Formats: sequence, C-alpha cells, structure tokens
Amino acid sequence: MRNENAGQIRIIEAVFAVFVIFSAFAVTANLPAAQNTSRSDNLSSVGLQVLMKLDSDGSLGRNLDQGHWTVLRECLTLAIPAGISFNMTVYDEQMHEVNTAVISNGGFGSQEVSFTEYVCASRDLTLNCYAIHLYLAVTQ
Amino acid sequence: MRKLNTFRANSSGQLLIVAALIIALMISSTTIYVYELNKGAGYSNSPAFTDFALSLKQSTRNAMIGALANASNGGTGAVLSENLNHFSDVVRRLNQFGVCNLTCSLFEDSVYDLGIWFSWNSSEVDVSGAYADFGLIVDGFASRVSVPYAINVTTSLAGNCSYVLEGTEKHVNVTCRLYNEGEPALAKNITVFYESGVDWIQTGGSTIDYGNGTYLINITAPFDTTQILLNVWDMRGILVQAKYALS
Repeated sequence: MRNENAGQIRIIEAVFAVFVIFSAFAVTANLPAAQNTSRSDNLSSVGLQVLMKLDSDGSLGRNLDQGHWTVLRECLTLAIPAGISFNMTVYDEQMHEVNTAVISNGGFGSQEVSFTEYVCASRDLTLNCYAIHLYLAVTQ
Repeated sequence: MRKLNTFRANSSGQLLIVAALIIALMISSTTIYVYELNKGAGYSNSPAFTDFALSLKQSTRNAMIGALANASNGGTGAVLSENLNHFSDVVRRLNQFGVCNLTCSLFEDSVYDLGIWFSWNSSEVDVSGAYADFGLIVDGFASRVSVPYAINVTTSLAGNCSYVLEGTEKHVNVTCRLYNEGEPALAKNITVFYESGVDWIQTGGSTIDYGNGTYLINITAPFDTTQILLNVWDMRGILVQAKYALS
C-alpha cells in the first residue's frame, strides 16, 4: 500500500513546496510601494511652487483677505505654464468655500488631473488661514 | 546500507518541504528588510513632500510676520503664541501625506519674551524680532517623518543723526538703513517726531529714498529740542522705533 501511494505523496509534497514558495512571493509583492512618482506628481509640484511664489511676499494672502478673485485668476494665468488648465477653490478654516467667483482658465480636457493643497496664512494683523485646493491638468 | 537508502527515499518529500519553507523564509525576510529600508526614507525624500514642507515653512513665516506686525503696532506679547497655536490647528487638518502635527517652541532668553524681541530707542541699531523653533511630524501609512526648522523674523534700523543750529531752529539730518533679516529692505512709511517738553510733535520734513533701504530725512525742530523719534514701518507692516539725541 505504502509503495503504491509513494508516487502520489511525492507529487503532493512537491506541489505543496511550490505553493509555499509562491505564497512567499505573493505576500511580499503586496507590500505597499514606498515611492511612486507619476506625471501628476510633477504637475502637482508645479502648482505648489506657483502658490509658494505668489505667497512669498504675502500678496496671495492679501488678495484672499480682500477677495480679489479676478486678480488671483490673472496671477495664476501668468504664473502657470501655458498649456495647463487650472481650477482653484479657496476654503476658510471651517472648510467653507470662500471664493465667490470661479478662479479657473477653462475646462479640463485631460484625464490626468493633479491636486495640490496649500495652507495660506495671511500677514494681516489678525491671522487668517485659508486652505487652497488647486487642480491642474494638461490641456489637450 | 539498505536501511539508510530506505530512510533517504522515505524522507525526501519532507526534506523538499523543509527546503521550500527555508527558501520562502529567505524571500520574505529579504523583501521585508528592503521594504523597511525604503520605509525609513519614506516619502521624506520625494520632491512632493519637500515642496509640501517648504510651503508649510513659508506659511509659518507669514503667520510670524503678521504676529510681529501686530505686536510692534501695540498688540499684546502673547499674539505670537496665539497665532502659532491657531496655525498649528489648521495644519492638523491637512492629510495629503498623513496626519500632520506642528509643534512650536517660542524662543526665550534675556531679550526674547514669548518669542518676541523689541530693542527700541536703545542703541545705534533698533530691532523688532520674532524667533521660534518648529517640529513638523507627519504620520503617514508607510512612514513617520519629522522635519525640524526654525524661523527668525527681524526688522532692524541702523541710523545716525546730526544737526545744524540756525537762529532759533535746528536743521536735523537723519540717515537710516532698514533691514529685513539682515538684508536691505524698503520702508512702507516713515514718521518723525521731535520732543517738546513732555510731548512728541509730529513733523513733516523731506525724505530722500535711495531705493536700497537707505533713507535721508531732513527736518526742522525748535532750538531747544533734545531728541527726535523715528517710526519706520517696513513693507510687511512691522514697526521699528528709534530715538536720536540732539546734543
């Protein structure tokens, strides 16, 4: 009986060994990737750098305090490279939308839209903080 | 000999499984080790996170500038800590890279009080300053990143004063240089007062702006004036005050 079943047992053991090795691969492959960069990351970086540039002399916070949405749209149009669409929404600290006018240069034709979040602290004598959500997309 | 061969033949399957387990263990441990190494660096080296940290640093600076402008224009000394606590609350709501926590420590020494230093009317250089240390901690899924930084905001005014007595008046010349963080800076507004008894009288005069942070101010004051007072606001709204003796 033992000799008759020895072949099948060897096959089962070999299959089990293969299963053990592949399960190790399967488990380790599912660890989350530590870093992944994509084109949208680069676009997001462009957006953040533009907002930082506008905020470097406090003009971004001043325009937000005074509700100069048209000025902000023009500043973004000048600062963001040609061929990129933008749409900016400004929220107060309670995440209520503050901008009463659309701050955008048109619709998004691209499927790849990047998102940038920026916290702006105004230099006013009374501190006002805003959360800016800037969406960027490559115009097609 | 035959017994040994029989043992080898009977145990070869178990040995196969043990070998497979060892190999699986090696694969798992190597992969986890490499993963942990990457996790240590995490996204702290990624350009997106670097930009994020820089943007928070800039916003922190703006909050400090607003607080120093407030305090120098007559606000309370606690305004810096209030503003920074307020800003930390806002930062805590960010979750782009994980849960953000911004801690701040206001600088305290013999001249700084609650992170603010005013050295007015004291020497050749008058200063309004604010200094604080910060620690940004971001708890993400894959890693925990700590970014320490310090922010120093100063507006300083260096000047000298001379006068010429003509009849019953003194023609006073004040040359002053304004600096932001040690770099020449432009003034938004300058007002001049001369001392008259216990009062300070504002006077006009003329101001020459050299465009590089240097200003030449000419005023006329009564001959018994012993001091003049200068109020200078930089473009950020921070006030620095200087007194010059006419003796």
